[in-house]
Amino acid sequence: MSETTDKKVHGIAAEYTSVDTLMDACRRVRDAGYTKTDAFAPFAVHGIDKALGIKPTKLPWIVLACGLTGTLTGLCMQIWMNGIDYPYIISGKPYISLPAFIPVAFELTILFASFGAFFGMWALNGLPKFSNPVFTDPRFDRVTDDRFFVYVDASDARYDRAGVEKLFSETGSEYITTVMEDDSPKKVPKFIITSWMVMVALSIIPLLIVLKMRVTNSSSPRFHIFYDMDFSPSKDAQQNTTLFADARAMRPDVPGTVARGQMDLNYQTGIDIDALAKIDGPRAAMLVRALDDAEAKADSAAKSDGAPKAAASPAPGVMDTTPWLGENPSELTAALLEKGQQQFGIYCSVCHGMNGGGNGLVNRRAQKILAGTWVPPSSLHQDSLYAGKYPDGKLFNTISNGIRKMPGYASQIKVEDRWAIVAYVRALQKSQNASIDLVPASKKKAIEKQQAAVQQKLKEQAEAEKKAAEESAAKAAKAESDKPSA
Amino acid sequence: MSLAIPNGLDNSVERPGERAPLVLGDTTFHDITETVCQVAERKPNKAWVIGFLISFALLQWFGICILYLLYTGVGVWGNRSPVFWGWPIVNFVFWVGIGHAGTLISAILYLFRQDWRTGINRAAEAMTIFAVVCAGTFPGIHVGRAWLAFWLAPYPSLNLWMWPQFRSPLLWDVFAVSTYGTVSLLFWYMGMVPDLATFRDRSKNKWRRMAYGFLSLGWSGSSRHWMRYEKAYALLAAFAAPLVLSVHTIVSFDFAVSQVPGWHTTIFPPYFVAGAIFSGFAMVLTLMIPARTMLGLEKLITIRHLDNMCKIILATGSIVGLAYGTEFFIAWYGQVPEEKFAFLNRAFGPYWWAYWTMVSCNVISPQLFWFKKFRTTPWIIVIISIFVNIGMWFERFVIVISSLSRDYLPSAWAYFSPTWVDWSMLIGSFGLFFTLFLLFCRLMPVINMAEVKWTLAKQHHMSHENTSQADEH
Repeated sequence: MSETTDKKVHGIAAEYTSVDTLMDACRRVRDAGYTKTDAFAPFAVHGIDKALGIKPTKLPWIVLACGLTGTLTGLCMQIWMNGIDYPYIISGKPYISLPAFIPVAFELTILFASFGAFFGMWALNGLPKFSNPVFTDPRFDRVTDDRFFVYVDASDARYDRAGVEKLFSETGSEYITTVMEDDSPKKVPKFIITSWMVMVALSIIPLLIVLKMRVTNSSSPRFHIFYDMDFSPSKDAQQNTTLFADARAMRPDVPGTVARGQMDLNYQTGIDIDALAKIDGPRAAMLVRALDDAEAKADSAAKSDGAPKAAASPAPGVMDTTPWLGENPSELTAALLEKGQQQFGIYCSVCHGMNGGGNGLVNRRAQKILAGTWVPPSSLHQDSLYAGKYPDGKLFNTISNGIRKMPGYASQIKVEDRWAIVAYVRALQKSQNASIDLVPASKKKAIEKQQAAVQQKLKEQAEAEKKAAEESAAKAAKAESDKPSA
Repeated sequence: MSLAIPNGLDNSVERPGERAPLVLGDTTFHDITETVCQVAERKPNKAWVIGFLISFALLQWFGICILYLLYTGVGVWGNRSPVFWGWPIVNFVFWVGIGHAGTLISAILYLFRQDWRTGINRAAEAMTIFAVVCAGTFPGIHVGRAWLAFWLAPYPSLNLWMWPQFRSPLLWDVFAVSTYGTVSLLFWYMGMVPDLATFRDRSKNKWRRMAYGFLSLGWSGSSRHWMRYEKAYALLAAFAAPLVLSVHTIVSFDFAVSQVPGWHTTIFPPYFVAGAIFSGFAMVLTLMIPARTMLGLEKLITIRHLDNMCKIILATGSIVGLAYGTEFFIAWYGQVPEEKFAFLNRAFGPYWWAYWTMVSCNVISPQLFWFKKFRTTPWIIVIISIFVNIGMWFERFVIVISSLSRDYLPSAWAYFSPTWVDWSMLIGSFGLFFTLFLLFCRLMPVINMAEVKWTLAKQHHMSHENTSQADEH
């Protein structure tokens, strides 16, 4: 041990075997006035800070600061990202909606505070520090097992080797040692440094490759790692496949569906599109296109006053050359007429009246209040609206797209129901001009009788009116003649 | 196997006016060091080697399945419309739940000054970390293009020109699970540093000494260091406690914030947290009881420890049972037809078998712990714990699959069936878990020696105080 004499002395340590002797020794060292002291133990001995006179740590303040930083970071990050830089519209909620930001802010508070506690503790402890003079003594290895040490540093103002050793021996320590400078090589072994540097260098390579690819252009095509994610392996028409039993890649329509662009356009528009295409190609194309769009946004309200209307209804005054469908494409059945009657009752009768005479409730009210802008609804019984002059297709178009003050009903009434209304209107028109011969013989008598009664009544009424008119005329003449001539 | 507890190892009897000892036998500080260190220092025994080989093989299989999934696409799973959140999410929630016991034991029991946690906290924390690793795998590979999973992070993206959507519970989940994983790891590692220093100081081999020396950061056992360390530990415990509760709460938001019948319920957060603690403790017991016998730790992980954990399982299991009942009550009381249907469908629909497996494992089996005999007989505890683990996996299965497979629109209903890849990944994730756990048993201190020594010192101190008080009066 002769070579130890010229080494620097760090301090003196004494070994103890129990907590109680350790605490006792600590108190004595503290009372003797030493301040640069420490105790070493295999576990946290409670009360030793008091026994040695160690001041409380300021770690909680570091942790508090870190925690607040976490809260602020969380809130600012979310407010900036979702409220300011890229405002997300989520269910009409405010962009800066604090309740939704609480979970992430909370998690970041915990995360930052935990980092503060963890790294703050190691930093305050001055760790990691792999070279420590106390480790030079092999007996010190038992500090992490079952032994306790008290240590007085040589830099303490009151340090005096003999005095400290005496104090320690008084406390019953069986082993007192001088802590010498660690003479083991301080340098990290070369191979560790080399392998570390090689690893760092190797780990940079992929990053450099990525960076180079990011900034340079390449004349060769891109490399596709997952080829089928970039290029869909979907089948072309007419190819075969193993996916379906019939081996056809092209699938037939699902029953009950109509493919896009394959709707019965005549039925949808009331116009013979083929005929229209011959006389007015652009208009036919426009109609087809408009209907395709309408398919895409089937129930968009824009449809009723959009392109189809403009295209389909001829401007007033211009001679109508549209090849309207002459006949209702629906099969005429009692059920269809009933449907038409029901729909007419719902949508049409308010203006046109239950009998189609043009005197519905709305009209009557408008007349009563003398509404200035009111255009009276047409009577459906005027000659110009009969099938001969006003084809079924045109009537359908009018219901769909409206005319004059009448709005279009395409968005409210289904296509088949509109055709049902057309059929019913025809029936109404017929009802006003039917010849008695159409009535079955069994009911003819009753009707003729009723007719006679009505005519009789009308005649009486007419006579009464005539009489009244004559009377009032006579009265007026008399009054005129009675007036004194001024 | 004998039901009797060996002499001197039964500390489950209550004695009035006295705390039951938590370290048994005539144990000294050095005995604790020896008992724990021999686990890592002696040659591995046959059971460990066989267990490790099996686990490692399963882990390889897990890796192969993941590669197959990445190469082929998520179609290899059974996830189909309408069950897009299938098996992987079931596994994710299962593993995250398992990962709740460790930090709960370390943090909440620490704050409540439950000294019995010192024997089990290290292994439980390790289990937490490994369970979170397993859990993190599943959403990672479930995003479809796993190599773009970093899009979840709020970074200024040059491709997207946009930020994550912070009002989504899925994003909260990213933050919650990653914070939980990080804090649990710090907590675990920090708690291990003094014990790693013990390993360092005992190692004869130069390489071993260097490795443990590096990991223990130069820990010297200085009282100043211990004081700051204790403060940091208490602070971390105070943060980890609400964190544990928040993580599964946020996981439950993934479901509760959506509008799927059977998910859209306010009971989910407490119900999920209770279920997580329940399953976590069951997993701790499943691992700890065989480990304690094989590694010779009976004096440090005592019958009382097991007894206490069984009581927690009983309590949380009853909460979970109550939650199942409450869900049904609210479905009836709320009178939402879809909700009512969802719950009837769970119990009597096509997944009735999963529902009743869950109920019998989770509600009925833990009730056996009312009897002390069951709480203090290790092999019975293992069996019940395994039942609880199975039940909790099925709970997640029932919630995820039965709700999605039949929601509002009957024409969109479908029956989910897992594929072989689904099964392989579930089993493979156990391979990952057990590989990590067995490595941990070999390489790290499985018991927190420093804290057990502290418990022993306190035990001595208290018995000393009792006798000295008797002398004085």
